[in-house]
Amino acid sequence: MTHILHIAAITFATFGTGAATLSVMNEDIPDLAIPEGNWATTGALDGMTFQVSGKDVDRGAELTDEIVFRDGTFQSTDCEQYCNFGWSDYQTKEVDGVIHFTATTICPDAPHTVVWYGTVSGGTASIDVTWTTRRWYWTNQMRIQGTGTALPSAAVTS
Amino acid sequence: MQMKSQALTLPALTLRFCILIAFIVLATWGVHMIREALDLQIRPDNEQQVHKAIMLGAVAYISLLAIPFVPGAEIGIALLSGFGAAIAPLIYVCTIAAMMLAFMIGRFLPTAALERLLRDLRLRRAADLVARAAPLSKDDRIAMLLEGQSKRFLPLALRYRYVALAIALNTPGNSIIGGGGGIMILAGLSEIFSPMLTFVTIIIAVSPVPLAVFYFGLGL
Repeated sequence: MTHILHIAAITFATFGTGAATLSVMNEDIPDLAIPEGNWATTGALDGMTFQVSGKDVDRGAELTDEIVFRDGTFQSTDCEQYCNFGWSDYQTKEVDGVIHFTATTICPDAPHTVVWYGTVSGGTASIDVTWTTRRWYWTNQMRIQGTGTALPSAAVTS
Repeated sequence: MQMKSQALTLPALTLRFCILIAFIVLATWGVHMIREALDLQIRPDNEQQVHKAIMLGAVAYISLLAIPFVPGAEIGIALLSGFGAAIAPLIYVCTIAAMMLAFMIGRFLPTAALERLLRDLRLRRAADLVARAAPLSKDDRIAMLLEGQSKRFLPLALRYRYVALAIALNTPGNSIIGGGGGIMILAGLSEIFSPMLTFVTIIIAVSPVPLAVFYFGLGL
């Protein structure tokens, strides 16, 4: 019985110290910083779809995506391939005739958080994205920048 | 005669030092080449697979590092090479877990059962190590743990046994006496190491490499 208690105590100390060490050493990488402002759920971009060409800022990989706005919600078709993010609420604000939008999408099956910020002017969009994965032992982030053009309603695939 | 010996030793030492430096430079270069060749990029489409590979690697690392004479450190180095400094905290924690696992095996598993288990696993050298340690007194087991050290060093090592344990774990070539796993099993078998003080010793003793990689990167 004493042996079992000793083993339990050592195991507890090892795991406790391990968890404490990892939480101290695992530096968080903050999500994309969204500019302050009068963000509101307006549905201002509802019905719009953009074909986006982007680039992984750190690794240079080329990416393509289609982002869809519908009923006050937002979806990236590319992100849906990797996780069932579903439709997420988006917010907008208008500054000098340019619509700014932001959305935060969270993967229900894995620790992925994707933060979107973009501007829409006329039929073009400019976007910044961070895809952050926070595992218990490290945090990994992919930064993406891209531009998109609005698709006519008939061309929308989703 | 002594002068002649010194004259012979200095070039030999210089040569060894140069070989060591060359080895470090080549090893560092090799690690960078391996990283570039692997081109391990964590993307949304492979993140889950990378996560599973890291978890499997961590379990294998802990298990193998705890077994005497089994090269487990290479898995840690491979993980560091593949994923860079970001994985160093996990390697550090896994190393502590492996060392404490080996210590607990030595401390709490009956010697005969441990020897039989190692023989069943076809780990003959590890079983021989345990068999050799079994009939010895506690002090003799410590002496075995510090095999190769000067006899004059032994009383001091027994007195400052936790420091001696830390040195033994960090001594290059300790694989001759069983590596980290073997040393910790022997430490457990000796029964003169308190589990908690051993734990603190391990936290400090295994910290230099992972912490150096974490703070200074792989370009050390």
